[in-house]
Amino acid sequence: MSDPALLSLAEARSVPPRELLQACRARIEQWQPRINAFIEADENPRGGGVPLAHKDMFYRAGRVSSCGSKIRRDWVANETSVVLERLDAAGFADLGRLNMSEFAYGPTGHNEHFGDCRNPWNPDYITGGSSSGSGAAVAARLVFGALGSDTGGSVRLPAAACGITGLKTTWGRVPLRGAMPLSPSLDTIGPLARSAEDCAILLQAIAGDDGSQDKKEIRIAMSSAWIERNAEPEVAAAVLAAAKTLDRNPVEAEPPDFDALSAHCLVVMQAEASAQHAQWMRERPGEYSSAVRARLEAGYAIPAASYLEVLRLRRAALERFCAQTLGGADLYALPGIGVRVPTREETGPKGGERMPRMLADLTRLTRWVNYLGVPALVVPCGFDSRGLPLSLQLVGRPFSEALLLAAGRAYQRATDWHRRVPA
Amino acid sequence: MTTSKQWSAEVVETLLAAQAIALAPGRAERLARAYQALLEASAADPLLARLEFDAVPTGFALAMQKCR
Repeated sequence: MSDPALLSLAEARSVPPRELLQACRARIEQWQPRINAFIEADENPRGGGVPLAHKDMFYRAGRVSSCGSKIRRDWVANETSVVLERLDAAGFADLGRLNMSEFAYGPTGHNEHFGDCRNPWNPDYITGGSSSGSGAAVAARLVFGALGSDTGGSVRLPAAACGITGLKTTWGRVPLRGAMPLSPSLDTIGPLARSAEDCAILLQAIAGDDGSQDKKEIRIAMSSAWIERNAEPEVAAAVLAAAKTLDRNPVEAEPPDFDALSAHCLVVMQAEASAQHAQWMRERPGEYSSAVRARLEAGYAIPAASYLEVLRLRRAALERFCAQTLGGADLYALPGIGVRVPTREETGPKGGERMPRMLADLTRLTRWVNYLGVPALVVPCGFDSRGLPLSLQLVGRPFSEALLLAAGRAYQRATDWHRRVPA
Repeated sequence: MTTSKQWSAEVVETLLAAQAIALAPGRAERLARAYQALLEASAADPLLARLEFDAVPTGFALAMQKCR
């Protein structure tokens, strides 16, 4: 292969770092004007190993961390996040700060302060958010992997929309210290990379080995009738076929109540995010984009009793998912996004009356996972008729990341969707 | 979770004003509708009706270990 930037992360580890850095820089120069994945590419990258870059909410002492916002545009962190310390120790290079939705509070990748991040497969379409730059930079092969955060889908949505692999980790699996908080009961950190194998390498660096073993046969549960009824036809066809690649006879399961669980997630997210931002919302409300300000306003009238009741219910909901939805199966399969990737225009400020419905459709199949706290992997499983990626989402029991990644590897040995590169 | 009473723009404005949060113009009515829909969707979960008195938020962390 002539361009080392197109190698997998696993393969790149045997290439001299200087060659990798040159190759990534050349691609950044070529792609950045088109997709706006970086907020800042460092002139002198830290470290000398395989190049990565991260969502601009993982603090590094002495460096700006804007969190995609105007309020923190020039804020300099005084500590380094645990995850960046661990990646440094593992010998990865950090090429800079990646674009993101303002304060990680948006599912599309729009950003009025730093400019929208754009999908490498077609810049008219959204990247998904909030880890928009992580999804776009990895898909365009500007870096070999990136960290994102996932509070309601923010790793999985950009992975799904950009055609790469993303892992939402179990709540509590990866330390959050030194990462911008959004909703501490839901926040997780996870890798976005070119394959499940590459995600496993990054997870090992930030979370260590969980000691679990690969299983020879992975049993999949899915709700195929629900998917056929509720997902767009191209999405449903690709996801059902992908699940059967992993398990010829998936167990048919009653679907979780996605809408009720998503509502519980929103109650928690809105209450916690609004509390987190209360001081700035009192003193500097005009410095938020109108979309983020509106989302934050929504949290201040959530009744405290409702918030706590939903947190009390979380245990029962998790136990029900594991016992009834998964039952004897290992993983639950469904689309990463139930609709085809929408355009930036139809989900942006000029999106019109249909926009709220489209945003709800985007996150309908991701938020429920955050409420349950369980891990989930998104892998590409095809392309729609417009050339935009389609994705399979696999959801596991708490701390089953190794199994999820094994399933992802098995799927990616049987298919080549993850090897396709935007031109 | 009680949602029988309709949220109103006035209630939303009062609640936010009590917390010194200024609403953007025209937002109170939209927020009232959104609260109503969100809390009704959350309250529609049949599991809520069977939630045990002794259930506490910290029980979730124990369940994460038990369900692994």
